[in-house]
Amino acid sequence: MRGITQWENTRISVRSIAGSPIRSALTALGVMIGVAAVIILVALGRGAQTQVERSLNSLGANLLIVYSGEPRGTALVRSNTANIRPTLTEDDLAMIRAMPPELVSLSTPASTANVQLKFENRNIAASVVGTGPEYPDIRNFQPIYGTFFTHADLERRAAVVLLGAQVYRDLFDAGRDPIGENVRINGVSYRVLGVMEEKGSAAQDSSVLIPISTFQRRISGESNYAMISIQAASSEVMHEVQAAIEQQILRLHRLPSMDYADFYIANQMDLLSTVAGVAGTFTLLLASIAGISLVVGGVGIMNIMLVSVTERTREIGVRMALGARPRDITAQFLTEAVVLALGGGAIGIALGIGGSWVAVNMARTAAEVSIASVGAAFGFSVIIGLFFGGYPAWRASQLDPIEALRYE
Amino acid sequence: MIELLNVTKEYQMGDTVVAALRGVTSSIAQGEFVSIVGPSGSGKSTLMNLIGCLDTPTKGRYILAGEAIEKLSVDRLAELRNATIGFVFQTFNLLPRLTALENVEVPLVYAGVPRAQRRDTAMEMLERVGLPDRARHKPNELSGGQRQRVAIARALASRPAVLLADEPTGALDSVTGEEIMELFQALHSEGSTIILVTHEPALAQRAERMIRMHDGEVAEDVRTGTQSGRTAERTPKGVVAPPKGVVV
Repeated sequence: MRGITQWENTRISVRSIAGSPIRSALTALGVMIGVAAVIILVALGRGAQTQVERSLNSLGANLLIVYSGEPRGTALVRSNTANIRPTLTEDDLAMIRAMPPELVSLSTPASTANVQLKFENRNIAASVVGTGPEYPDIRNFQPIYGTFFTHADLERRAAVVLLGAQVYRDLFDAGRDPIGENVRINGVSYRVLGVMEEKGSAAQDSSVLIPISTFQRRISGESNYAMISIQAASSEVMHEVQAAIEQQILRLHRLPSMDYADFYIANQMDLLSTVAGVAGTFTLLLASIAGISLVVGGVGIMNIMLVSVTERTREIGVRMALGARPRDITAQFLTEAVVLALGGGAIGIALGIGGSWVAVNMARTAAEVSIASVGAAFGFSVIIGLFFGGYPAWRASQLDPIEALRYE
Repeated sequence: MIELLNVTKEYQMGDTVVAALRGVTSSIAQGEFVSIVGPSGSGKSTLMNLIGCLDTPTKGRYILAGEAIEKLSVDRLAELRNATIGFVFQTFNLLPRLTALENVEVPLVYAGVPRAQRRDTAMEMLERVGLPDRARHKPNELSGGQRQRVAIARALASRPAVLLADEPTGALDSVTGEEIMELFQALHSEGSTIILVTHEPALAQRAERMIRMHDGEVAEDVRTGTQSGRTAERTPKGVVAPPKGVVV
């Protein structure tokens, strides 16, 4: 005896499911929603991750920043270094600038201070950044109007300033050309060279930029720098550059090790991987929450399958009398559960992809459907069908054919 | 074909053990048309379930087509039901979502017969019960008599050694019931072994031999005058009936 084939079992299941379409749809609804939720939430998580990575990359390419003082948090860019005693010296900067171009492409020092800005009758608090002409390229922060100050301006300690987008809005009437106007910083007059592009970060948009030499002379009176921004030649050499700079500055500052350091280096690569890790955890968390709804969907399948087994006791008895072995009955109901779960899963995948599309195109949210989440959702559907269909199917197979035939 | 040796079946009912069969010994030869009669509680249903391999005896031996079934696994019992027994039920027990043809195919599905061959065999069986033009109809589109014919076609599909009919006319009107009995007699004359379980003496008389059950024992095992309707000779209980033709 060859026995029933799985193909025949599948046919029986599909007919049974198609025989009561509304009940089948409701049974599969839980899995449908669960799968759709997994796909949409994972897509949103990944979208958020990509967005954060993109905004990190917008800070500059292959960026390393040497900061004065103790390490604080994980931020790559510290909005305000005004309260930190600057420890980075001209020698440190010279050492970095002496590094071969295969390692370091560009570098520039910077310091910040909190100041009063005044133009005509308007008066605002802002942060002033003293830096070098390489700053726009290193930090990927360009003037949108006018030009950045030059090496010549730096040499002669020119009183020139570039305004952050927000500062411009606060000080000037809309549409007024600021170039050539004089803005007063702590009472000293600076000629406006241009307006910086809007970055969406309050720290950058609410600051003004002046040459570092002017900053040292007129604002801080301090020859050290609060930070040095460095653009490494490539992402591959970033750790090498970081290690070399740490070692050199320790030597210049006569310090035994990084445990005693009066500076630290923030590395864009490390930050990216930290963010990626955080975003990954976040995505996993979202997927787990959605996974719970998938499990609830599985319980729904189990519930209806148990009812179905009871309702179809007579059918089971007839099939057994006609030669179905217990394992054939198990296979029949298990197949039915898996087909239901897979059907729900397939519709859920369609809903998930559709929902992600809506999130991107209608709700303007970042969402990226991952092929892995689609595959996992599909695989989970099968597993849920097998797991939650298992008990009802086993119950069906354990029926006594005599009792089952007598069942009304 | 069927040999029952001192078969006992006991059920546990709470604290007490109830014996449904108390040492039944009988045998049924190939090609016989036997009726099993008796009031409810006489053990005839239990006997039918045992013969149909739906149950196994508590004590004693049951040999079906040369195989002792009392020690068989549930899988092997299922295979025997599939290949050796053809069930006909009082309430037909057709699967409501399947067409007549597909219902007839069910035993062949479990036998693993390929689809095309299954279709041919099932159609052949429907022709044999006179319903080839109802092949595509669902059970609820058929009359009671037609449903029972489909059920008989299904019972015949795997060409079983024994046709086991439990009150096959019980849910039918007398005219339709008569048609079904004629079908059984026709199948019998073609060589099928038929066991008919009934509580109607008139129906039992239509078989060649009647086993009357009482209190879990064979009370009477007699040959019936199928053609003449005369009462046949009595044989002592538990003894094999005399061969066909020996009628007083």
